Amino acid sequence: MLVFATSDKGGTGRTVTSSNVAYRHALQGGDCCYLDFDFGSPTSGAIFDLPGAFAGVPEEGLHSYLVDGVAAPRRIDIWTESERDVLRGRPAGAGRLTLFPGDRGRGEFQAHPGIVGRCIDLLVRADEEFDLVIVDLSAGRSYATEIVLAATAALPGVKARWLVFHRWTRQHIIAASGLVHGNQGILESGVQHGHDPAALKDAIRFVRTAVVDLASPDQAGLRPEQLAWLDVCNGRLQELASRHKVGRTTVLGEIPLDPVLQWQEQLLSNDDVWLHRTANQRTVDAFDELAKKVVDDSAWIGL
Amino acid sequence: MQIQPRQQLLDIWRAIARLSYADGGWRFGGRDGTNSISDAEQLLCLMAPATEIPLFRLDNPDAANRDVLDALDALGDDIQVPQRLMEALTSYIKRYTAPDGTPSFSGGSYFRPEFEGEEIKIEQRELDVVDSFSISVTLMLAILGFTQIFRQIVTRPRLIEQVIELETRASQRLTAAMVGLLRSFSVNVFSADEPYGRELLRTVNQERRPTLQVVEELREALREINARLRDDVTIGSGAAEGSELDLPNRLFECGWSWGLVTDAPQIETTSEVGVQRAGVAQNAPYLYFTTVALDAIQALSSERTRLLGLLDEGQLKLAQALQLRFELTRSYWATVATFGSARWPLEDLPWRTTDGVEFDYFSLLVSGMVVQNMVAVRATNADLTRVAGVLDELANRSRITRRSSEREPALDVHHPGLRFVLEGSESVGGPRLAWTVADISPLLLKRTLNLASLLSDGTSRSRLLDLSGELWKHLQERLIADGPPHGLWDQPAGAFPQLNVKMTEASWYYTKRVVDCLVTAARVINEPPLRSEVLAQLAAELLNEADHLYDRERLNGSTYSGQSLREELKQIGVELERARTVRRERPGVAVAVTQEVLRRLDHLSAARRANIGRS
Repeated sequence: MLVFATSDKGGTGRTVTSSNVAYRHALQGGDCCYLDFDFGSPTSGAIFDLPGAFAGVPEEGLHSYLVDGVAAPRRIDIWTESERDVLRGRPAGAGRLTLFPGDRGRGEFQAHPGIVGRCIDLLVRADEEFDLVIVDLSAGRSYATEIVLAATAALPGVKARWLVFHRWTRQHIIAASGLVHGNQGILESGVQHGHDPAALKDAIRFVRTAVVDLASPDQAGLRPEQLAWLDVCNGRLQELASRHKVGRTTVLGEIPLDPVLQWQEQLLSNDDVWLHRTANQRTVDAFDELAKKVVDDSAWIGL
Repeated sequence: MQIQPRQQLLDIWRAIARLSYADGGWRFGGRDGTNSISDAEQLLCLMAPATEIPLFRLDNPDAANRDVLDALDALGDDIQVPQRLMEALTSYIKRYTAPDGTPSFSGGSYFRPEFEGEEIKIEQRELDVVDSFSISVTLMLAILGFTQIFRQIVTRPRLIEQVIELETRASQRLTAAMVGLLRSFSVNVFSADEPYGRELLRTVNQERRPTLQVVEELREALREINARLRDDVTIGSGAAEGSELDLPNRLFECGWSWGLVTDAPQIETTSEVGVQRAGVAQNAPYLYFTTVALDAIQALSSERTRLLGLLDEGQLKLAQALQLRFELTRSYWATVATFGSARWPLEDLPWRTTDGVEFDYFSLLVSGMVVQNMVAVRATNADLTRVAGVLDELANRSRITRRSSEREPALDVHHPGLRFVLEGSESVGGPRLAWTVADISPLLLKRTLNLASLLSDGTSRSRLLDLSGELWKHLQERLIADGPPHGLWDQPAGAFPQLNVKMTEASWYYTKRVVDCLVTAARVINEPPLRSEVLAQLAAELLNEADHLYDRERLNGSTYSGQSLREELKQIGVELERARTVRRERPGVAVAVTQEVLRRLDHLSAARRANIGRS
């Protein structure tokens, strides 16, 4: 299954959430790969603590494959190459976890038939080899989005889903809605590439990130007045989201605000919760649930 | 107020979801088995709050509240909840529709034989009953409101079909229920010398004046109602008696019988309502069914029903006919219950019906109609307070606020409940049937809350709210504490250990009535607080002084002062502005804020005096 991760604005936690979802999925026993399609800034290597690929690999990355036509893009097995202790060595029962990095220092590029063709090949092969293929697109309406829309339109037999990440704020709600439903948004460009609008819409879900959960004990520091105000705010946001078609019925998951992720984009291991006690269990639970829901067909039946 | 509707309703919802939803389907039935009334009561425990209180709405998962959806998570996740609910509602309507499409409003297991041990015939169980017409009206209106919103949200074709199917079926059942109500209305005309007439005169003649004079005065007081019954009630039951009304020495009573009245004519309608069955019920009003019918008709003409446009054209006509009967019945009973210039017949507990049955419970039913009428005619606080006295007395006499440790007959009203016979039910064979009512406590609470919200006099209002607190405490004691139905009602021995019974199943009859109380309480709390004239006056005076002192402080204090003093003065200015803004709506808040301001201003002036050396 292909899952495209996108967002309208930067800083939504798209990369950190989707890479954590990939990690959780692998821990749950599925083979998972992560394609870094954020061509303008391919930094996913940093999240997986891959010293040689912090900002992409020097050669044979996804740029070289798609643009220059290198035979096969570089792939990195996280379980063997990561520098982080907990990521080193595949835990028993876990599936594969592979990163396809971009090239260092190369920018975005426009779609043309050759690129789309190579992208189709790549997606088909990845889909055959892995249970879950997460494609991290760049923020906003990007060339990468155009390329994968064109590629998936030519792949009706391959199951593809979209996750749109946004933070739980007024601006982000409006932006996320615009990215999907707006002018030259995913739906409109998808249709131009030959997608069926209803089917494509059914394959898109939103993920709310950095959500402040008022009921959580982490909010104990807030004054009563602040909580009262936040409650009203939350209600207003909910109403706004509903009006912009990003209401609860279209949400696949909610990731709570986590202090660790606020300071550093990283994979949250069980050690971070239990041993170092830096991360919150609720955050890890949310990743776990999202990793299950993203491949669970019943979670995608809407109203 | 001791009642916290939101928290308590959520608890009840959690218990209902846990108990009613098992193995992927809705499970009907409780203590009294399943029948068209009990099953509707079970569903209304969810649908009534979801319809009446915006916080509890379920028709749009996007707008639903988190805690509400969490309470129902036994039904599924956020978007499954409304779907499951829809399935349950559809299965209810299907369950009570005959194969030929005729909706059934049978009393089923709620019918009891007049004497325990006699066997009720199947034909008797299938008799339509006004309670079922009424609750169907309420439930169908809730469903129509629900589908109207939910239909705009669903996009999957199969779901849309399901929503439309539910909507069509609900609308049909609503029409049939309205037709049923029109065919159960009854006008009972009798001569003043008959037993009926003598009982009615005994009730209204509290001053023991000459009978002839009282008959004349009563006829005079009821003249308008009499005339409209004669001229305007032209369809359904109760229309044929019009000609008798004008005969001399005739008195009457009107309201709803327990079921379709004997020889009730059919209603002509273009809508699909199935077969209109022949009636067997006695042509005389029953107080209980009259109250129940009035509540349903009130929902039909409510603001919500009109704003959402829930009724189609045929239904609007039927609703109009029902509204007329509603108004006539309400004013009839209010006139009778408050007749005369001395003690009201209502205040003469217990109320005695024209067939000679007397119960405190009947006084409670009549008081409901009296209050409804007082709202319509904008009665004074003094009149409302008199009804409050009756409610207070009823709570005492039914041993809710006054305790006894004996197993005395006064407790029968709580358990096993009052029983009255349904005349005419024997005509299809079998024994005479009886109806049981045991809802005096929740009904009393509902009436108390309702009356409290109407009173604008602080003292009487808070007395009623105190009473409602005591009633609620009583109801809490009657919660079932253990077993699967824990958190639901009713365990009468919880409040009256001497009853020595233990219930192991939930009663939807009772739980639904408690839910109604909580809905009423939520409405009362959502109204703006009572504004006290005394506090408003006090706030105005305090503000005058505070304003003046503040201005003097600004005039005479140094303009070249330290930062903290400048900030203090700015803050005081902000607080004063706040007090001025809320002065009219919440004078108590304005007083509190202004007092704080005065204290802070005084700190400054006291500090200055210290410098001069004076106190």
